[in-house]
Amino acid sequence: MQKRNSVLKVTASMLRDYLVLVMIALLVAVTAIVEPKFMSGANLVNIMRQFGPLIMVSLGMTFVIIGGFIDLSVAGTINLVAVVTISLIQPLGQVPALLVGLLIGAVCGALNSGVILSSGALTQAEALFLTFGMSTVYSALALLYSHGSTMHFWDIQKSKSIFEAIGAGRAGPLPLSFVIFLVILALLWIFQTKTTEGRAISLTGGNKTAAHLSGVNISRAIVVVYTICGFMAGVGAIVLFSRITTAAPVIGAGYETNAILSVVVGGTTLKGGKGSVLRTVMGVLLVILMSNCLDLLGVSTYLQVVVKGAILVVAIWLDNRKQA
Amino acid sequence: MKTEGSEVILSINNVSKSFPGVKALDEVSIDVQRGTVHGIVGENGAGKSTLMKILSGVYQKDSGTVVFDGKQIEHTTPYQSMQSGLAIIYQELNLVNTMSVGENIFLGRFREMKGMKGTHAKARELLDSIACKVSTTKLVSELSVSEKQMVEIAKALSFKSKLIIMDEPSSSLTSEEMCQLVKIINQLKEQGISIIYISHKLDEIFEFCDIVSVMRDGHVIDTKEKSAFTRQELITKMVGRTIENEYPPRPLCVGDTLMEVHSINTHKLHDLSFTLNKGEILGLMGLVGAGRTEIVRALFGADKVRGHRVLIEGKPTVIRNPKDAKDAGFGFIPEDRKLQGLILPFSVESNISMASIRKFSRLGFLRKSLEKDIGARQVKALAVKTPSTKTAVRNLSGGNQQKCIVGRWMETSPRIFIMDEPTKGIDVGAKYEIYNLMKHIVEHGGAIILISSELPEVLNMSNRVLTIFEGRITGEFDPQKASVNEIMGAALGIVEGCV
Ligand SMILES: Nc1ncnc2c1ncn2[C@@H]1O[C@H](COP(=O)(O)OP(=O)(O)OP(=O)(O)O)[C@@H](O)[C@H]1O
Ligand SMILES: [Mg+2]
Repeated sequence: MQKRNSVLKVTASMLRDYLVLVMIALLVAVTAIVEPKFMSGANLVNIMRQFGPLIMVSLGMTFVIIGGFIDLSVAGTINLVAVVTISLIQPLGQVPALLVGLLIGAVCGALNSGVILSSGALTQAEALFLTFGMSTVYSALALLYSHGSTMHFWDIQKSKSIFEAIGAGRAGPLPLSFVIFLVILALLWIFQTKTTEGRAISLTGGNKTAAHLSGVNISRAIVVVYTICGFMAGVGAIVLFSRITTAAPVIGAGYETNAILSVVVGGTTLKGGKGSVLRTVMGVLLVILMSNCLDLLGVSTYLQVVVKGAILVVAIWLDNRKQA
Repeated sequence: MKTEGSEVILSINNVSKSFPGVKALDEVSIDVQRGTVHGIVGENGAGKSTLMKILSGVYQKDSGTVVFDGKQIEHTTPYQSMQSGLAIIYQELNLVNTMSVGENIFLGRFREMKGMKGTHAKARELLDSIACKVSTTKLVSELSVSEKQMVEIAKALSFKSKLIIMDEPSSSLTSEEMCQLVKIINQLKEQGISIIYISHKLDEIFEFCDIVSVMRDGHVIDTKEKSAFTRQELITKMVGRTIENEYPPRPLCVGDTLMEVHSINTHKLHDLSFTLNKGEILGLMGLVGAGRTEIVRALFGADKVRGHRVLIEGKPTVIRNPKDAKDAGFGFIPEDRKLQGLILPFSVESNISMASIRKFSRLGFLRKSLEKDIGARQVKALAVKTPSTKTAVRNLSGGNQQKCIVGRWMETSPRIFIMDEPTKGIDVGAKYEIYNLMKHIVEHGGAIILISSELPEVLNMSNRVLTIFEGRITGEFDPQKASVNEIMGAALGIVEGCV
């Protein structure tokens, strides 16, 4: 009887670990039956395209959360990077514009960590408020810079081939943005699981005091996670405006919550320490499939927000039970 | 073994409990009499805490029966067992730091107490009954460990408990605070309350327990009246082999100066200077709050302290943070293993390896096979009882968790090893092994700064003792020559203790 008990326990914990996969499969199956359009080529490409920006932002967010923090500023970063980058294509050319855009993302992230470290706000709750404040700052800068107006690709006379390729190009059968995602995922996965800095980040997220007292450089870990997060928000911004070929100064709205939702639903714990970029991929897939299904089923946007909120609550609840 | 006329309040019969990979309890039977102090001793991982958690409803037993106060207990929750009169004070205290003393005592029962006014009044009454002077409106985070323990006891009393379980209550108490606890225990006993007292300090067991049970590897080896045990016998039963001396012979190879510390000043420490010699174990003694921990934290760079000078082998060394300290050859066992030492959800292996990442990395990449070796080596060297090195450290018994922290720093081969309560919660046999490791360090040219609330440990292991009182060094002694009273006198300042 004892054996059976432990077998049950193991299955239960496996189920919990791979719940996301099960849910993804269920979602696909149910929607495919109810709405045959779901499996159409056009819809699948649509899903892959939506995947692009959110996955970039979420991958960066994963590091911040593993490090035991949170970053609400990504929406502001996306706004800023998008409007600045698109405006620089004309005067500077596309390659410098791209590089400046990525740099701004990384600098915003590093700035967040600077504010956190210098104020000594080493709890997740404090980071929440600080990065929320920073988000407003970045958004305001984006508005000031763009005078509140939206920039379009068709306004740009110079070559913008790189951005057009990111937005709509293909590498063989796959969208180019998807290939970029695969490369970045591989790099980040290696960084997270195979390098000393990746380990330092997990240790910091697991217990800051213990890590600090064991000689782990937690300040550096904090700078690294926020810089990665800012940089990836920048990448996300570029993928996003390349796809929709316009950049409004509010383009990033909602990305912070969706990214956190994806990370947590994927199974990275909000308590820090444990998690994985691979889990986040599953989380993003689930979140995007869900919106897609709900869209196809004609569920209103308001109701969709409610569903997302409910899922976040359930994910956090499950995570807490796993820890207990 | 039942004594004439006594009444059994708790009867545990053939209780077993398994965790994945471990049989923590195997057919355990113990009877506890009303109004007695029942001591339980045993090696780390023997199953003591697990048994208590079954009683309190945190874990459910796999088989066996438990009868408490005439009623059979089946599936209880911690709250139900509290209500039925069985209270437990855990190895790791369980109060809400951000709430006041009164609120903690009556947590979730404010309505029964008719609001906050009633809560605080009743809490005051309970605290007075155990001669505890702490204000009921003080935040728990501001209390010392012993005060927290008093609050836990008051909380237990508030449920009109008939049995109070104390799981290693003394592991962080000083001798004076311990006196207070003994008084309370005797007082509770007179009121007919039974107490289960778990400790690795045999002196306490012999001082005030009536009956003692010895556990080993999930079994109860023996239960007898205290007077029927000799100390030697108890140790032998606990660890399964005889241990001649509880302390190895003192290392006697003190050499030249290794470190000079000049004028540490903080709001608690006043112009503190001292030296540490090669091959020396330097004991720091004093009351809780005297500043011993502050001194070593300042040295290790754990607190931001400026203005003091440190010379290591004559060279000025600047230590701004623990990383600098580690690079300068320091090791550091912090006093609170749960908050400052361990990453509870992480594996035994990564908890052990975390101070020596450099040893198993190349060009910024981890070499996990080397890390595995490190984990396995320290688990073996310290005989950490764990199903595997991949087990989460939170699933280990308290003493085995402590061994992981010792192993973490042994792996770095520290030259100056700061140990703040290194043997907290560690059993007699394993303590001896740790003392041997300490000896090994100093015999190879290192030095140790030792803080311990266990007087015999400091006196038997140190080559030199500094007494600290209110942030000042009040004396320097050779523990082989000075008398205990002399040393304690200096450590207590002018206060007369109950040594
Ligand atoms: N939640 C758990 N999951 C898995 N194993 C556990 C768990 N709790 C305890 N154990 C195992 O059960 C055994 C008994 O542990 P227990 O904590 O009861 O020991 P103990 O006698 O209290 O030791 P110590 O003196 O070190 O506190 C140990 O081998 C421990 O690793
Ligand atoms: Mg225990």
